[in-house]
This record gives sequence, C-alpha cells and structure tokens, in this order.
Amino acid sequence: MAKRYLFFFPIAITFLSIGGSVTVAQDDTANIRVNVDLVQLNVAVTDNKGNYVSGLAPENFAISEDKIPERISTFEEGNEPARQLVQTPPEAAGGSKQAPPNPKSPKQSPKPSAPPPVVATEVADKGHSSVGGEDPATLPAQITGANVFVLFDTSNYMYRGFVFAQDAIADFVRSLGGANKVAFYSYSRDLSRNSILTSDRAQVLRGVRSTVAGDDAALYNCLLLTVEDAARLTGRKVIVVFSNGPDNASLVPPEDVAELAQSTGTIIYMISTREAELEPISTAVFERMSKATGGKAYFARSWSDEKKAFAFIQEDLAHLYSLSYYPQPNPSTGWRTITVKLVGKDMQKYHVRTRAGYRLQQAHAAANNSAELQPESVTK
Amino acid sequence: MKPVLRPLTLLAASILCPCLCSWAQAGSAVRPTSSPSLAHPSSSENTVVIPGPLRSFLRMASISQQISPDDVLPLLARNAYTVGYRAGVQTEYMNILERYLHQARELQMMAGSSGTIRVANCADADPLLRILGYRIRQACGQKDAALVTADPERAFLTIDSGFPLTILEEALQNGVPFTYSFPDSHVPVLFRESDWVALSGAKSRGSQSLIDVMLHEPAIDRLYWAFSQSDIETRIAMERSPGLRALLPYAPVLDFYGTQICIRGGRVMVPGGPSAEAGWRDLAGASPKSPGDFVVHLLEQDNGWLAVYFDTVARVSPTQQAYLTTAPRFKRLYSAFREPDPHANPAGAVFRKAPALLMLFTRLQTGPDGEPRIPGNLEVWKQILNQKTDSKVAHDWARRSRHWDHPDQLLEGMAGLSRIDTDQGPLQIYLMLSELDTVRAPEKRLTPETVLLLGSKYTQLSSWYLIFSEFPDLNDASIARFVNVADAVNGISNAGLRGNAMGVFQANLGIWQILARQAEIKGTNLNQSWLKAIEPFAGIGSSIQLFDAGQASLKTVMVAASGKADLSQGELIELLAGPPQQSPEGQRMRQEMAGKIRAVLEDQRLVPLDTLFALSDGLTRMSEGKPASTNLIPLANELREFELPRPIFTSSEKTEWAPGVYANRHAELQVHVDITKVIKTPGSRPQLEAARGQLTPFLRDVLVGLNYAYYEPPGAQILHNNPLFVRSHDFSGETIMGVQELWQAPELFNQGSPAGGGAYLVGSLAQLPYVLATTEEDFIAPKNVQALIWKEVAADLMVNATLPRWWNVTRNELHAVTLYQRSGEELLTASLTNKELRGRVINILSERISPQRLGRLEQALEAGDAAASLSYVTPTDTFQLAAEFRRKFPQEAASWGTAGKQLDTLTQQSPAEVSVQRLSRDFGTPHPVLAQTYGNELLNLQPFPAFGGNSSRLLGESWDSSNLYWARLADEKGYPPVMLNRLIPELTREMVANIFATDIEDWLALVRAMKETGEEFRQGKIGLPPVTEAEASFASQPVAVQQEQSQRSSAPAGQK
Repeated sequence: MAKRYLFFFPIAITFLSIGGSVTVAQDDTANIRVNVDLVQLNVAVTDNKGNYVSGLAPENFAISEDKIPERISTFEEGNEPARQLVQTPPEAAGGSKQAPPNPKSPKQSPKPSAPPPVVATEVADKGHSSVGGEDPATLPAQITGANVFVLFDTSNYMYRGFVFAQDAIADFVRSLGGANKVAFYSYSRDLSRNSILTSDRAQVLRGVRSTVAGDDAALYNCLLLTVEDAARLTGRKVIVVFSNGPDNASLVPPEDVAELAQSTGTIIYMISTREAELEPISTAVFERMSKATGGKAYFARSWSDEKKAFAFIQEDLAHLYSLSYYPQPNPSTGWRTITVKLVGKDMQKYHVRTRAGYRLQQAHAAANNSAELQPESVTK
Repeated sequence: MKPVLRPLTLLAASILCPCLCSWAQAGSAVRPTSSPSLAHPSSSENTVVIPGPLRSFLRMASISQQISPDDVLPLLARNAYTVGYRAGVQTEYMNILERYLHQARELQMMAGSSGTIRVANCADADPLLRILGYRIRQACGQKDAALVTADPERAFLTIDSGFPLTILEEALQNGVPFTYSFPDSHVPVLFRESDWVALSGAKSRGSQSLIDVMLHEPAIDRLYWAFSQSDIETRIAMERSPGLRALLPYAPVLDFYGTQICIRGGRVMVPGGPSAEAGWRDLAGASPKSPGDFVVHLLEQDNGWLAVYFDTVARVSPTQQAYLTTAPRFKRLYSAFREPDPHANPAGAVFRKAPALLMLFTRLQTGPDGEPRIPGNLEVWKQILNQKTDSKVAHDWARRSRHWDHPDQLLEGMAGLSRIDTDQGPLQIYLMLSELDTVRAPEKRLTPETVLLLGSKYTQLSSWYLIFSEFPDLNDASIARFVNVADAVNGISNAGLRGNAMGVFQANLGIWQILARQAEIKGTNLNQSWLKAIEPFAGIGSSIQLFDAGQASLKTVMVAASGKADLSQGELIELLAGPPQQSPEGQRMRQEMAGKIRAVLEDQRLVPLDTLFALSDGLTRMSEGKPASTNLIPLANELREFELPRPIFTSSEKTEWAPGVYANRHAELQVHVDITKVIKTPGSRPQLEAARGQLTPFLRDVLVGLNYAYYEPPGAQILHNNPLFVRSHDFSGETIMGVQELWQAPELFNQGSPAGGGAYLVGSLAQLPYVLATTEEDFIAPKNVQALIWKEVAADLMVNATLPRWWNVTRNELHAVTLYQRSGEELLTASLTNKELRGRVINILSERISPQRLGRLEQALEAGDAAASLSYVTPTDTFQLAAEFRRKFPQEAASWGTAGKQLDTLTQQSPAEVSVQRLSRDFGTPHPVLAQTYGNELLNLQPFPAFGGNSSRLLGESWDSSNLYWARLADEKGYPPVMLNRLIPELTREMVANIFATDIEDWLALVRAMKETGEEFRQGKIGLPPVTEAEASFASQPVAVQQEQSQRSSAPAGQK
C-alpha cells in the first residue's frame, strides 16, 4: 500500500519529484510521488542571561535532520524580510514515501521545472548583540505576520483568577502589532472559538470579554483542535495557552498534541499560575511541551506576573529567527529529529531553542475537522 | 412577550371545552379543540420583573438564550432546585446568581426610569465602574486607556453576565458618551406572582419577589417546574383544586410523574379512557371526576408509586393502554408493580424510577389469542427467573413463578421486576428476547432451548444479541453456535491470546455485520456465512492458530460478500465503504467513504492486511523448506515502521502520576517485533512458525481498526491523532481491575489523566458506534458561547448519522420524504381555520407529542399562528401526521394542499418505493435500547423522559427527526440521494455544534439547532458542494479530470 505522507508547514513553494522505491505490499512497482515542502524552524538564540542574540547570519546556523546536514533555504530575523538562499529543493528530496496526491492535501500543484540552485549573495552584515532588557512596549510593532491563537482556560479551575487573566490577555491582544492576526479561543470541557483569526483587535477583545466560566477542563483536547486550526495556515503560527493546569476531561494525551504541534511547526507558549506550578504533572507537561515546539512555559505567581509573561512572549516572537530548508533524502518515515547548532567563533556560548523535530503526517490530518476560518463560523 | 393565562378565564374555557388528552383516547373519536379564549389569555399583571436585560440574566442563570420568555421562570426554577443546592447548602451557582441580581439592581437604579445607563465622560464613569468592579488605567480619553479589574468579585459578574465592557472601554478611550439600555425584563409567571410568594416559609415573604423565593426555596421551585410541564387546562384546574399549597409536599412526585395528568371538563382523563375510570378510582381511592381529590390521592398513594404507574401507562399507545387497563389485568399488574417496596421514594433520586416498566409496556407484544407473547414458553421463563440472583425481589418472583400457568402471570412478574434498578435482570432478558422473537417469522420463532441458552448467557453476551434482532434470518443453530464459540474464546487461559482472540473474532463478526447490513452478504447466505465466519475460532490454542483462524474467517466473509477470498485490503475497504454503485456520483461517494476508512487506518498506523497475509504465506513457504521470496524482508520491515509517540513523561513519572493506568503492553510489544532475522537466517521451522504467530496482534489491530474506521463519528479527532487508540482496545480486561463483562459494550477509561497515555476502550466491539460517538463528541466545538455538548443526546444523533447508510435510496423516495413533511405541514396550516380538521390533527399528534407541547401547539393553532404552530412540531411529527392521516382518511389525502396531491400521485406511480414502511427503514434511526436492534425504524411514540443508567439512552433514541429533515434539504437542493452519505454526517455535526439547550428534555432546542443548521446549509455557509449541475458535468468528463476534480473538491475550504 502506498502511504501518504506530508511535510507540514506548507509554504507556497511545493513541487513533486520522483523519489526512491517504496515497499508496497500490493504493488511493488508503484511510482512514488514525493511532496517536498519547506520545513520551517523558528529559532530563539539567547545568551547565558536569557538575553536575545540578534544579528546572526545564515552561515551561523547549522541544521541537521536525523544527523543529515540540511541547506538553509530561507532566512529571516525578527521581522525583517525573508531572504531566499536556495530556490530549489535537493534532488529526490525528503526521501519520504509518498502516495498519489491526497485529495485533501493542499499540495496539488504540478511539478514545476526545477531551476538550478541559487545561493544568495547578499548576506546581512550585522554583528550579533544581546538585546535583553529592551522595553517590551516597543516590541509589539516589530512582530509582524504571525498568527497568534490565544487559548484561555475558562474551566472551574480558573474561576478565581478569571478576571485578572482576562485583563492580562486583553493587554496582550492590545499590544500585539497591527500586522499580526489573532484568534481567541476559550475552553472548558469543550472548545469555544470566541473570535476567529482576525487583525481586528476590537473583535478579539470582544471575544475575550465574552467568555463564560465553568465546567470541566479538557486542555489537551482543545489544544489539539487549536493546533489543527493553526496548522492550516501559512506563516508563523503561535499558540499562547493560558491555563491553570489541571485537566480532568481530555481524551488525547499531551504527547499527541505536542507531536502535532511540532509536525505542523506550531509554537506553543504556556502561561500558567502558581497553582499549576505546584502540580507536578502540569508543570512537566507545560515545560516539556512548550520546549518541544520551540516555545516556553511561564509560571506566574500573580496577575502582574501574568502580564509579564505575555510581555516575554511578545519579546520572544520579535526575536525569533525563521529558517527553512528542504529536507535531504531521509529514509525515516517516522519521527525526524532536528538539530540546530550555531557555527562560528564564540557561538557555542549561546543557547538555541527550536522545535525538536517532526513526524511525517498523513496528508489529511491537519485539514480534518478544523474550523472554517471564515467569518461565518464566528462564535455567536 | 407572551401574556399568561388568567385562571378564571381558563376555568370557564375548560368547562366549555372538554378536550381529551393524548393518552386518554382509547376508543375515542375526534378530539374537540380548545376554545379561543384558551389561546388568547391575556394579563399584563401576570409577569414578574427581572432586573436588567434578560440576556444577562439568562447567562447567569445558565439558561439558553434561545428560549421564549414563557420558559424563563420554569427553567430558572428547574436550575435552582437541581443545581442551586447540595445537601441543603447553597452552591456557588446560586451564590453567583444572587450576587448578579444585586449588581443588576444597582445598575437598574443607575439607569433610572429611562432604563438607560449613560456615561457622558470620564468623570462620569466612576460610579458605573465601581459597580462593575473595574477601574480605568492610564489617563481617561487616551488611546491606551484600558479597563482593568478593581473588584474581582464584581468584575466576574460583569464579564459573566455579558456587560459590554469593551464598548464602554472604547468610549472612555475616545472620550465619547456611553449609553447602554438596561431595562427591566418582564417575564410571564404561572398564575400570579403572589400565589407563589405566599407559599414561601420565609418570614420576609411579604417583601420578597418571586425571583427571591425561587433562589431560596427549592421545594417551591420544583412545584413551579412541575406545573410548567402540565398543559394549561390541567395546570389551572390543579391550581384551583387541590391548590398549590396542598400540592407542595408532592412536588417531587408531580415533577417526575405528573406531566401526563390531564384534566378536562372537570375530570381527570385517565389512561385507558372512560372504561378504565373505575379501575383508577379503586387504585387511587378517589374518583377521576373529582380532579383535586384524585390528583392528591394519585400522588400520595403508595408513596407515589401509583403516580409512577399512571405516568407509565399514560405514555404508551391507546391500544396498549386499552390492553393494560383491562380487568383483571389492570389491578393485578399494578399490584405486582407496587409490591416490592411500597415505602420506597420514587422521586428521591436524580432520575425517574422504573424505566423498564415503560419499555415493557411500550414494546409489549400480544399473540392472536390476546395473551402476552412469550418467547419460548412459560416453563423456560420459570427457569430463567430461577437463575442465580442477589435480588430479593427476583428471588420472590422466582419462587412464585413455580406455580404459573398463564402468560399474564409472567407479565405481572415482569412488572414487579421493573422495580429493581438493574440493566441485567430477568425483565431485561424478557425485553431483549421478546424483540428477537417478534421480528422473526412465525415459523422461525426462537425455540425454548435457544431462549434458555440466550437467557443463561444474557449477562455475558447480551450486547451481541442485537445482531440476532437485526438479522432475524439467523436461525437457532447460528445463535447457538455463536454462544458456544464465544464461550470457547472466553475460555482461553492465556490473557494475551484471549484478548487477541476476542478482538479478531469480534472484529470479523463486525465486518460480517456491516456487509450483511449493506446487503452485500445476501439474505439467503446469512446463516452459512455466519457459521463459517465463527467456526474457525472454536478451538484456538495458540497465536498461530488464531492468525489462521482470523484469516480463514475473514476470507469466508469476503467470499460471502464478493465471491472472492483473496481480496486486497483496498478491495475489502471498498466493500465496507458501500455496495458497488452504478452511477458516477455513487461511485465517487463510495470512493470517498473508502478514503475515510483508509485515512483512519493510516492515522492509526496499522499494518495492512496484505502485508500480514503475504508475510504469513512467505513464512509458511519457508517453513516448508522453500526459499524466502525477495519481498519478504521489505514486508517484514513494514512491521517495524510503527513508532510509539514521543514520550513526555518518564516511566517512573507515569507510574507515579497515573498509578494503575494501563501500560500499553499490546502496542509496546509490537514495537519490538522483528522477524527480519528469522527470514534472513533463515530460522528453523518452529522459529518460522513462531514468527508467524507474532503477526497475530497486528492482525487483530487492523481488523479492529476497520470496525473503528467504519463507524468514525463526524468530527472525530482521536481516531486521527492518537495512533494508539485502536491498539489500546483492551478486550480481555488486563488493564483494569474489576471489569467483569468484557463481551458487553466497551467502556471508556483514562479520560482526564494527562500522564496516562490517552483514553481507550475496555470491553468488546459490541455497540461500538455509540461508544465511539460518546468518545469523540466533545471534539465538536459548540458555536454558542456558554453552550456545551449535550451528552445525553449528541452521541445518539451521531450514531443516527453514521450507522445508517443511504446507498439504495431513490430520488422518488427522497422526494416522498419531503412530500410527507410538507403534507403534514399543510394539514397543520389547514387546521388553523378548520376546527374539525384541527381536532383530527391534534388527535393524531397526541400519540407522539407530550401534553405540554401539544397544549402549546393547540394554542397556536387556535390563535391562527401558523409560524408558531410549525415551531412546535418536528419533521417526524409532520411526517407521521401525514402518514397517519392518509391511513385514517385516505379519501382526503389529497384535499389539503399541493404536497398532499403530489404525494398521492407519487404513491400511485411508485407505491412500494414511497411506502411508509420503506421510508421508515431508510430514514428511520436505530433504537438499540428500546427496540434492541440496530435496524432502522421510525417509531410513532412520545419522546421518552430522561432516565439514569443504560436507560438514559432512551432519551436520545426518541429523537428521529434529523435524517428526515436532512433528506428533505437534499431533495430541495437537488442532491442525488447517494450524497446523503456525506451530507448527513456533516450536517449532524453542524447541528450538534448549534445546540443550545438548558434542560435535559429540551426537545425544542434540537428543533432550533436542526433548523438553524438547515438554514446555514441553504445559505451555503456549510461547505458542501452545490450538487446537481456539478454532478452532471462531473459524470460527463474523462476519468482523469474527474479524479482531479474529486481531489480538489475534497480539499478543505481555503485550500482550493
């Protein structure tokens, strides 16, 4: 049987090429069509004090996938325009087994003729510098193009801090730069899409202030649905979860959510309260899941800490490097581990944070049952 | 806002209009309609004031915002007594509601007589902000000014009640005035507010409003709710006599069992009609002609058990009522029913009691001799009753049964046994086997031996008996063989092997069931194919044997369905997807359904059957001394492709944080399977055989996966995102202590345990469609703020959309469904102005609509309000109205509108195609609890009330309107019938998301959600293709273009 796999983060550049043979039980001679998409990484680089390091160039980064070196295709720092370094994927790229195009796959474009590789000649000539301590208030305007989903816990666990959390989220929404699109979802036992993705901040704020408290908490169920919504989008995708931690109703485990987020290139930030920090399960999940996706967990001890946490997220988003690559031939059809290292003098002292890898997904998975991201589906 | 009724007006009206109630029509002719004065009661006095906008109050009181003003106080009363108090102490729900009312009154004062809150500028805002619990941050009038919490308790109320805080904030930022209408809300009250306040025991009652009383006195709440559930005339009569105060002590009984009490013309209309009056008088100790007296006695007698009985008998059809109330059966049945413990409280629990009595009376079958039909014979039932039991009641009836010599005695025993709270007693066996027996042809009734066998295995296997009622052609031998083989499988001592054997066996029978249901296995071949499918499992002793048995069994099923034993997995999937189709759209739909099955198998990362069978064949050849084929190693490598999800927790953390939770041994073992070595070496014959045995768990999983995939509920997520879900199915109970009946419907475990690895099912594959629906339903996101998925109903809605398929529906049939509904609507509309017709219409509908809803419908009809009339009926109501009317008055069938005429013509042209029986089969829904079958049927019954336990599903099974309505939409929009296979699941998912209900029996919420979904569909807001033209052009294009279009049309919105 020809299995279908799909690299997530479907950037506009897609093409088909002929790959290697596939072991197929019923048809050993099947032609293999390979969908190759860019794999995009959002990378944060910090020094020992947690300050962001900016001004790095593409050649400062070495990416490998399952220890196979990869060539950076596009490079972007913060909100600078993306630079295309390599225009084409490698021959027989991906090495993944691929079935005929999945009907639900957005990657139906015919194979374009493959131009010769082009390496960018213009390399940013910037030194790197620590920028920690910048006023977060000046940062939001720098965050452009990201699709930010805020997922707010309205379960009974959040009852006491409900209004303070709303204030903090409202501030966060207000302060995001104009180019960002924001969606606001809330959850208890079920997900509520209070405000779908929009650049209209007032609509999002109305969504924030329309939430109603109560019922069980199914964080991972609802986070899964949010990741699926995000996965359908191109561009940088970020989910900011605001939760008190406990989950007493989910059916999917956090492992599945983390894998989907990693495989779709969705960064998850988690902001929680002291209560969650006191609960070891939530602490572990929040820290590990966010780290695996290239995000971070923040445990706020007070409502003012919650606001700080949001400010940190804004800052983080403003300082991410976005790198992409076409995977080299890789026999793995399962999990692929990504490693990003810094190259160059004195670079080893810095810390790199990005997603840990991805799993080849069935083509239909991300598209299945997601919200219609159209105005009609807005919550009433 | 609708005014409420005045008692005196109604009193006069009731004398003038002695209407019959729904259940009191045995032998009655045409039902007279109510007088116009009933339909237009009016009194501006009969309202109560709720401070602030109704929308805010409804949010705080957890009431759907889609209800009518008439329902506000009843639902407030209901919520107050059900969730407002726990062990006599006010809950947080009630605390918050109280605080909100306080805040609303403050805002009301601020709004003043104009009812409008006005803030001219920033300086003006402080008083309002103090009430709201907010303060302004930064300078007022600045762009960055924002409202932040100052008083969290008040701020919570502000947000939770939906105060337009963002608009206020924007006004303050921009320095513009803020105005907000904050009027009092007036909602209708039953009788007068003072009537209810007077019941209060509070010293301060003189100064209290009804809202205050409702917040603090749950007993009054329950009485109020109970009254609201009665029809208007009855309610008025009871208020007069015996009066509210006299009824207050009986409020719980009246709430649970009083909705069928019906008073007309100064007498209680008893179930069974006038001929039963004497019997009811004797039982109650008061005459139905003295309503007040009778009602009190009814509620009081035997601590309320007579009311339970009355309510039950009143809910069944007039024919059944007449039968049950015939002397001496009537009193003997009640005597048996009351006997077990007349002092027990029937209204002391969360749910109503004795659901099985209602099922018994509803489904009771009688023979040609008029006696209750008995599966097998009476002697067999004596043996069944004498099976081991811990119940004293069952013991007593077993003892008494030894002297039985008449079927009525068995019926009495069953009535007595209905008092036991159980899902697995002799009564449940009787209900099940009666259904099995009834659907069989007279010459094929169950033999006494089979009845005894099934009775003895009921506790263990009853969930599987539904197959025998769905396929009555399965004879006694087939039934007996199943029971024996299941016993043999159950007797396998090795738990791992037993679990795999149960899985493979059940999965193959599940595949057989699907193919038989889709008529791909022909009726003439049912017994033979069934026996061949189960026979290989009769003597399993090893994994190798199990693999061979599973393969052999599957091949016999494939042969039965296709004539071929060597189908590939892809071909098997196509068989499961649906029967072969001739039309292009049918073929395309079949491919789409097959694609959905494949998607689940791929997301569950299951090894294909072809791989497993090819490996098995290759290893067998090697064990015979032949060389390994070249493709064997690559095939073996496929087994190793499966990876467990990347762990978040360490093993020790899992042990600590999810103690006792399943370690997925079945899946973990698969990760370590590597048979490449034994192929390369090659291994010895025993080693090669052992390697073949290692394929068995993989075989189990893919076969089980096919079952899961077929029944994928709309909106499913776990099936696509948790690759361990199918593998984790625990058939043998090795993961959970204390699960006894592993052949019964599976249960969901490990929900809400983040370190536990995800939820999974424990038990068998029986009832899988329902269990999968309950598992996946919370992944549908409700569209209304504050709404949650309605658990008691959503799963049944989803089953109704996934289990039936619509492959053989014709265009005539589809159109007939529309015409029946429209014809019913025409009858309703015509009855607005035709009193005689109205009586007949009401008479027919009274068999399936609750008295309260019927009362509202009648009111609307009398008022000439066509829109309101139609809002009180469901598509099944109008369908059944048309069908019954045509049956009862065939000469008038075409007299009341164009739809009736068209239906007449269509019926003459294609009588079999558009017969009610066929439409019932094709557009009905399964009733696995009530009718004990997954066969589809439209039942002409009143909705069942909410019960606990397994009977809770009766509520959901009562709803059978959606598919009729979706079919009508499809017909109106010109979709080919086969498209229903896609439309119905998708529209059902949308409907579930649209439901905004308050109480557990809120049928009108379903109607609203369904119609809202239909409207969205009509307006093109639901992403389904406009079909007719597209299908036509599709069919005329080359295959390659079709494929391309097919792919594009399947892509999600936004990606095309």
